[in-house]
Amino acid sequence: MSNYLELLREFIKTDFKLRYKNSYLGIIWIVLKPLAMFSVIYVVWSNIIKIDADYKMMLLLGIMVMTFFNEGVMMGLGSLMSKAGIILKIKFPREIVVFSAVTISLLDFIFNMVVFAIFSIFTPVTVTPISFVLFLMAIFSLYILIMGVSLFLSILYIKLRDIHNLMQVVLQLFFWLTPVYYQLEMLPENLQRIVMLNPLTTILTLARKGLITGDQVVRADFIDMTMIFLVCLSILIVAIVFFRKRVIKIAEYF
Amino acid sequence: MDKEPIIKLKDIKKTFFLPHQRHDSLVEFLSNPLRIFKPSGEEFTVLKDIDLEIYRGEFLGIMGRNGSGKSTLLKILAGIYAPTEGKVEVNGKIVPFLELGVGFNRELSGRENVFLNGIILGMPREFLKEKYDEIVAFSELEKFMDMPLKNYSSGMQVRLAFSIAIMADADIYVLDEVLAVGDTAFQKKCFDIFRSYKERGKTIILVTHAAPSVREFCNRAVFLKDGLLQVKGSPEEVIKAYEQG
Repeated sequence: MSNYLELLREFIKTDFKLRYKNSYLGIIWIVLKPLAMFSVIYVVWSNIIKIDADYKMMLLLGIMVMTFFNEGVMMGLGSLMSKAGIILKIKFPREIVVFSAVTISLLDFIFNMVVFAIFSIFTPVTVTPISFVLFLMAIFSLYILIMGVSLFLSILYIKLRDIHNLMQVVLQLFFWLTPVYYQLEMLPENLQRIVMLNPLTTILTLARKGLITGDQVVRADFIDMTMIFLVCLSILIVAIVFFRKRVIKIAEYF
Repeated sequence: MDKEPIIKLKDIKKTFFLPHQRHDSLVEFLSNPLRIFKPSGEEFTVLKDIDLEIYRGEFLGIMGRNGSGKSTLLKILAGIYAPTEGKVEVNGKIVPFLELGVGFNRELSGRENVFLNGIILGMPREFLKEKYDEIVAFSELEKFMDMPLKNYSSGMQVRLAFSIAIMADADIYVLDEVLAVGDTAFQKKCFDIFRSYKERGKTIILVTHAAPSVREFCNRAVFLKDGLLQVKGSPEEVIKAYEQG
């Protein structure tokens, strides 16, 4: 068991290190990408409507959370395939490679949170201990949701390479179906209902409440949080069962 | 030698599904979209019925022509493939050397690769730290450890890989043609290692085409052909069968 933890650590360490090897800006790209996206949307949007300080921070956090989801799913999706060379030679729990890929995207998110903290010096936010707990719960739920989706997709990807392209489109769709730069209230009612069905909407809304408007957190938010956590957990459990069942044969399909 | 086998293979059968190359047009695809989930193809049976018991302390040679299913058999032993039918029982820690330098990364330094590869092979980090100097000394690559692996010659890479691999402590070693490593002097070192495994009572399974190494090391051998173990017996019998094809 302890060796598998070491293996996980080693995979995380080397993949993290290797990702930006031979690139000039290196790991700065981790924060540069979301920041660039934020700048584009901010500049465009601030010319269309009037933007307040809270909105600015909500946009920033929204983009960081969505980047976490997108990169996590895309890295998790390709994780089994990228470790084919090792999987074909050594026996170890295959979950480790998916786990390490998704955890790297969590590390990226933590880096981005440092940038968020720096931003919050200039544009203050309201955080209380309780609301911070809500934020952590939201991020943890998102983490296990990404894990579940990745476990599922990494298996499918071995057999069906179209998944990679397909997911880029699907993730784009999810980005638009989540109130990242618009507010839910701006949408017509029937569209609002569709957007509300997206679990990312609830996760993002609660994460924002937790980290930006902490004084508005109420008990009902924690009930919503628990519900969404249970949804994410069920997805993860189903994904683990699916993964375990299919992964035995996976070495034959590389 | 124990009475109880350390590895027991019973009625092992392994079938692969070989999908046909698809030349689907869009029209064909649209006429039956479900075909992506049910591709056409054929079954190919690599191992038909393998029964094998390996005892503790044995040095078993597996011989067979290319494509006879040796590697498939090893992968089943190592737990990488699941057999289609039959049962595999392994009562000990197994370290497969199906390839040297598993997980080696060209961009990482020699030092980093020692830890990466070692941990993949199941060695704890602390243990690798202890053995690091020994590994480097064995590989004779002292001057190159901080260089990225891509600047190594292929012979140097294999030497490093082998030096890490021999540190792995297991009950059973599965070796796939790794004897043909490096120059003569290094090969001699490798053979010495195999001899010491044997003396320490380790179980070794060796797949090779080289009759001399089977003759020198193995106390038993099997000959694999057409998915069956045609001959099980002394190295000489098996080498004879192998040479006759």
